[in-house]
This record gives sequence, structure tokens and C-alpha cells, in this order.
Amino acid sequence: MDEQSGEEPRWTRRQIVGGSLAGVSVLAVMALLIVGLANQGVGTSISDALEAGERPDAPPIDLPVLYAGDGIGPEGADITLDDLRGRAVVLNFWASWCTPCRDEAPLLEAIAQDYRGRDVVVLGVDTQDLSDNALGFISQLGLTYPSLRDGTDGAQRDYQVTGLPETFILDKQGRIAHHHIGPVTIPEQLTQPLEQIL
Amino acid sequence: MSRLAGLVAVALLALALLPVSGGALSVNEIAKEVRCPTCNTPLDVSDAPVARDMKQYIAVRIEAGWTREQIIDGLVDEFGTGVLATPPKSGFDLVAWIGPLVGVFAGLLVILLLTRAWARRSRAGPGAAAISPEDAALLDEELRRHDR
Repeated sequence: MDEQSGEEPRWTRRQIVGGSLAGVSVLAVMALLIVGLANQGVGTSISDALEAGERPDAPPIDLPVLYAGDGIGPEGADITLDDLRGRAVVLNFWASWCTPCRDEAPLLEAIAQDYRGRDVVVLGVDTQDLSDNALGFISQLGLTYPSLRDGTDGAQRDYQVTGLPETFILDKQGRIAHHHIGPVTIPEQLTQPLEQIL
Repeated sequence: MSRLAGLVAVALLALALLPVSGGALSVNEIAKEVRCPTCNTPLDVSDAPVARDMKQYIAVRIEAGWTREQIIDGLVDEFGTGVLATPPKSGFDLVAWIGPLVGVFAGLLVILLLTRAWARRSRAGPGAAAISPEDAALLDEELRRHDR
């Protein structure tokens, strides 16, 4: 005799729907937690690739010009990496409240002036800052090289910047050739890797 | 007279219970609604350099007669909507407000369905549905024999 035939089904349709809803809710919450935790830390893929002797592609940039100069502008216009293709870029992340940024800015200005006409552009990226204060910083220090404005920290995150200041050297093909963490204290910290890619 | 005094007392109490509004804006009042971009804490409890600059920005604009909305909009223009301490109630950010409510309602629905199913099962009694027609016939037969 079939013992199963007289038994009630183990799960009703309602229970299956309810259980599925509960399962989906739990999975959604877990996924959100995992995404949140994964986004908390700063990645190291750029540093890892550079340490392995590679030149990783520079993360895309799409930022408005805060201060125009060296063919980057006008102010307010959006700049992407494509606009910089064919030129080596010294990409410097800074903020007006950052004292080491203030200390290194004259050195970056000197490099910008020395390399003008050699397909090199020194390009600041002002981040975590108020734009009026940033413009005040540029004016006080008499900087002539251009700067972009990263109000939402998107570029800072994409470039895996862990603190300010940090400087990247991008080759003419838009790949990262060098990464300098902390303030530039002597020009050779940037000019040496720059000469290697020109 | 005593009725009038009672009315005055009630009116005064109502005035005292009204939220303080319409008064002068304070820096902290607005700082609570935004976060510090470097440390991700509410601006009013942050002492990071950029937080100090932002408080200064707020103070200058309060002095200039800007409204709370104008100042917060100005900070959003500078730092994006991520600067807000709570996500805006529009566009995709609405998910952050609706999502938890949907989760709570889904949970309540599941609890309701399960408790109803359990209640129905316990009302039916243990083993009530487990007896097969063959067993029922045998039981009837036994009962009849017992009665004789």
C-alpha cells in the first residue's frame, strides 16, 4: 500500500511563497551588508599592479575644471582622460586644508613650468574641499597649472587614494606609470619616473 | 474667572510644547544634517579640517541671511548628495527609505502566514488527518464488534 497517498502535502502554496519571500529578504540584506563592507576599504589593485612592474589603465576621469590652464579649460567644463591622451599627466590629489599639499605645491608648480612644451601637464584634483577655499589656495600660492574639482570623491576612490596628497604619473597612453604617496619633497621623486616615460 | 485662567494655562502649555522654530539658525542645527566627507561622521561632531571649513561656510551664510535649504543646497552643490546625513526622499535614493519598510512588511506577512498555518494545524488536532479510510473502516468494525 502507498503510505504517502493519504498524507497532507508537507508545504502549502502559501508557506512556499512566504518562505521564498523571507529567503529573498534575508539574501537581499546579506548582499547589502557584503557590498557595504566591500566598499568600506580602499582597493590596492593599482599599487599591486605597479609593484608587479605593470602599467595599469588609469581609471576614467570625468570632472569639471576648477582652475583652467595649460590647455585644460575653460573653468566648469568637464574633462575626461581622452582630453589628455597624447600627453603625460602628473595627477596630484590635494585639498586646501591639507598642510603637506601646501608644502609640495611650489614644487609641482616648478615641475609644471619646467615641462611646459614637452607634452606634460601637471593636473591637480581638488577633493574633499570647498571650491572657494580651493581657489583661494591656488591664488595664494600663485599656481598656474590647472586643477579639476572632485566634489563627490569619485576620482579619489577610483584612484584608491588613501590620504592627501598623492600623485600619479600617467603615460601618454593613459596608463599609470608611477604612484607617489605623501608629499613630494624633492623634484626627482616625480622627474625621474617622468623622464622614463617621455 | 477660573475658567479664563484655565484657558490661559492651556494656551501657555500649548505654546511651551510647540517645537522651537522660526528662530535664528545655528551652525550645529545645519551641521547635524550633513556629514564630514573625510570621516563620514555627522558634521556637528566632527573636528576634521574640512569639517571646520564647512562649519565656517555655514556660519558665513547664516550671517548673510541664507535659509537652511539654501545652505544645504550649497553644500550638495559642493559635495554631491552624499554629503547629506540622510539620503534624499527622491529618485533612486528613495529605495533607502522604502526598502526597510518593504522588508518589515514582508517579514510581518511571513509571520502572519506561518502563525495562521500553525493555528489551523493545532485546531485540527494531532493525528486527525493521519487516519486512512482503510483504518477508519477497521476501527468502525472493531467498535461495532465491541458494542455487541
